[in-house]
Amino acid sequence: MSGNEWLIIGMIGGFLGMMMIGIPVAISLAVSGFVAGYLGFGPMLFNLMPARLYGVVTNYTLMAVPLFVFMGVMLEKSRVAENMLETIGKAMGGVNGGMGLAIILVGVLMGASTGIVGATVVTVGLLTLPSLLRRGYAPSVACGTICASGTLGQIIPPSLVLILLSDIVGESVGTLFAAAFIPGLVLAVIYVAYLLILGKIKPEWMPAIPAEERAEVTGKQLAKDLLRDVCPPLFLVVAVLGSIVGGVAAPTEAASMGALGALAIALAFKRLNWKLVKEALHGTLTISAMVFFILLCAQPFSLAFRGLGGDQMVHHMFEMLPGGELGALLFLMALLFVLGFFLEWIEISYIALPMFLPVFMNYGTDMVWLSILVAMNLQMSFLTPPFGWALFFLKGVAPPGVTTRDIYVGALPFVLLQFAAVVVLFQFPSLVTWLPEAIGW
Amino acid sequence: MKTAINAIEWLVEAMGGLARLVVLALVLLVATDVILRYLFSIGPVAMQELEWHLISPIALIGLSYTMKHRADVRVDFLYERFNWRLKAFVDLVAALLTLSVAVIITYLSLAYVQQSFRMGEGSPDPGGLPMRYLLKAFIPLGFGLLSLQGLAESLRSLLVLCGKLPPDTSNETTDQTSTAEEVA
Amino acid sequence: AASQETFNFKMTNAYPPGAPFYVQGPGSPMDFCEKVKVMSGGRINIQHFAAGELIPAMEGFNAVAAGTVEMNAANAYFWAGQIPAAQYFTTVPFGMSTQGMNAWLYHGGGLELWHEIYAEHGLIAFPMGNTGVQMTGWFREPLESVDDLKGLKMRIPGLAGKVYSELGVNPVLLPGGEIFPALERGVIDAAEFVGPYQDRRLGLHKAAKYYYTTGWGEPTNVTELLINKNVWDSLPADQQAIIKAAAAACVTESFSWCEAVNADAMTDLVENEGVIAQPLPASIVSRLQEVTADTLETMAAADPLTGKVHKSFMEFRKKHASWAALSEKPFLNLF
Ligand code: NA
Ligand code: NA
Repeated sequence: MSGNEWLIIGMIGGFLGMMMIGIPVAISLAVSGFVAGYLGFGPMLFNLMPARLYGVVTNYTLMAVPLFVFMGVMLEKSRVAENMLETIGKAMGGVNGGMGLAIILVGVLMGASTGIVGATVVTVGLLTLPSLLRRGYAPSVACGTICASGTLGQIIPPSLVLILLSDIVGESVGTLFAAAFIPGLVLAVIYVAYLLILGKIKPEWMPAIPAEERAEVTGKQLAKDLLRDVCPPLFLVVAVLGSIVGGVAAPTEAASMGALGALAIALAFKRLNWKLVKEALHGTLTISAMVFFILLCAQPFSLAFRGLGGDQMVHHMFEMLPGGELGALLFLMALLFVLGFFLEWIEISYIALPMFLPVFMNYGTDMVWLSILVAMNLQMSFLTPPFGWALFFLKGVAPPGVTTRDIYVGALPFVLLQFAAVVVLFQFPSLVTWLPEAIGW
Repeated sequence: MKTAINAIEWLVEAMGGLARLVVLALVLLVATDVILRYLFSIGPVAMQELEWHLISPIALIGLSYTMKHRADVRVDFLYERFNWRLKAFVDLVAALLTLSVAVIITYLSLAYVQQSFRMGEGSPDPGGLPMRYLLKAFIPLGFGLLSLQGLAESLRSLLVLCGKLPPDTSNETTDQTSTAEEVA
Repeated sequence: AASQETFNFKMTNAYPPGAPFYVQGPGSPMDFCEKVKVMSGGRINIQHFAAGELIPAMEGFNAVAAGTVEMNAANAYFWAGQIPAAQYFTTVPFGMSTQGMNAWLYHGGGLELWHEIYAEHGLIAFPMGNTGVQMTGWFREPLESVDDLKGLKMRIPGLAGKVYSELGVNPVLLPGGEIFPALERGVIDAAEFVGPYQDRRLGLHKAAKYYYTTGWGEPTNVTELLINKNVWDSLPADQQAIIKAAAAACVTESFSWCEAVNADAMTDLVENEGVIAQPLPASIVSRLQEVTADTLETMAAADPLTGKVHKSFMEFRKKHASWAALSEKPFLNLF
């Protein structure tokens, strides 16, 4: 191995080490990137740094982060989210994991309105984690469910990953959106099945609302509660998704309808006052900046990875590969998964895809199917410990007492489920290709 | 030293107060733009550009504010098992590293802003916003504030290590759920 | 004798990885890098980076001026925020055809002006590609008169957007990836992008059926090769000649490639996708033309450099128009 390759390994190791002893994740990323980059090629490449940082903080689609977080914090502070989950839990009767199922539903609906993982994980976590814990859910199960549901937005259109992939593979955005729809739902169904089964095996990890407490509310009262508690959040879903589907707002701006809707709900419940708004703004600022802190500090890291020839390293590995379409596909999947341990998905797409695509074009591989496989795989990397970003983002909003270990342990089963979903898509490409053909996109 | 810490944190809190208002402005602006366009087909280019201009102050001024409120992400695998002295030591290292990273980025970005200023860079879109260097200036401003906060945290960890300040028991938690008094 | 010194340069690009014409394919920036490498016998190696790989899309100008990277591929009008006159080196509404534009740039004083203006910023630029004529864009409803433009929400950036807005259009700024969902759902009523080949790739025909053709807004579109002036001056004469020749070759190749693939794509769109392709009604075109003239005059009066380029451009345009009226125009009218 060359000196630079050692430096890359040292950089990744240094990041891991600093992160593990409790240095903030963002700072660990930046320090390891700066040090390895400086040793590798001196100060030159870092002159690119300001432009990269500027690119992050002026990225139009990242506007969805503060907007959605504001919606989430408002709902949390005005206790609307809490009431909703409680009521759904009661309505689910004796089904263990009922509230968990509600969270997957929330993840699907939020995923259908944005493609930013940071925004969904943080919002879903904020809204639901405290209630789940209070209701006696095992922290790891609660965290895993939230991270998995929150990353569904990566694959359920609209999705940033798909938009970038459409450019790289030369398929239209619409085709990829249509293609991703069924796989996204398949994934959600797999999650639901998992929670139901887990609820049967380990009821103590995800208890239903106790029967006595349920008995206290009559059927009539429950119906009233449902109307009162579930309608406001549903109203937000209609505000966000409805404004996209109804042609009022483009995907990113639609988040503002949710934010405005959350203000309206607080007003309707007579909870809107300056103190509440101030708290919500404080929460939105700290949480959004937490997400941006990581995104910004990832810039020196990925720049150093590229500058040190990390992409060449990947290239060499590829050249040693045995032939065949299947071999290449498996290698690509494995590579995306491994790179996902320490690189941001945009960087992975830039490094791995342009290099592989000509190969698959020669094989005549269906590019739409390939794109969805890639997107699913990238989504999986968001969930994979130790570097999955969804895990960091959830940690950022988790209440005291929820440890990194809980989040890691909880995410692992979902990584396996994701893997199963990739295998299913691999075996049944028509799950991907059917819808775009059927609706003519 | 305590005075210095307090002065820095007062500044970070004051700037954070501005950034909080920017969050509110962003919410209202984007919603207004959507509604005006849908109902009346109006939407000046400058107002549309202003939307993504507001991300910068939130993201960059927010950095130091987030650090002050300990809302940045840490992996607490080992940290939670450390004793107070080791915790304070890790905090000191983290704060010094933050200080160095922030100083480097502030330094790197000054020339970048100067270049934009010299050219009088504005929006390429007719009707767009002028003075793009002001937008770019949030990079050194945000990381400059982060350097100061890093300095404050370094000093505090030092004081804790020397036994001049009690260890912060809320260390391992974040405080998004801070009380209104703190926010006000 | 040829210099034996070798050079390693980085070229950034304002367009995303994989984009045909803008990044890869015949006469594209990546093709340019390859051509230069072969022609120089490996003495000039240019490593190409698509948008976002090293720096964000629109930061190329600043990065090359600062010397952080040596070259950038984009369109000059992206730098209108730094140099308003740069607009003219890509295209202006109702400006010139590709033939006229090339004639002005290479033999009408255009390139000299471009160099003169960029030299102040430590830069030099050459044409390195051309999309040919672009299209007016995709509309969900047909247009009949100027009144139909009132209140129309259209994704249209830049100078053309400014002109449209004078006629009551609401120009909407959207990132590339959101054009399709927005047009499909009717958030916007119309969208301008490039030409049939690129637009079909984005799937815009699945969102709107009325395709107004001849793009008065962008009658030609020049790709800019931007080079740091110090780097350029340090190159020996033979290597400079290689870069110039490769860039000029890319202009011809990319333009002729676009003509070929656009012809196919347009046929496919009309015959297989049910797209209704037609030019804008004459009444709308003439109103747009009037407004454009005013807009350009105002711009030219506001900034001396822009005024200077405007004058050169318009004088050449007039001269070339009378020639084209007797040469190309009667011939094209045969079809
Ligand atoms: Na999504
Ligand atoms: Na165009």
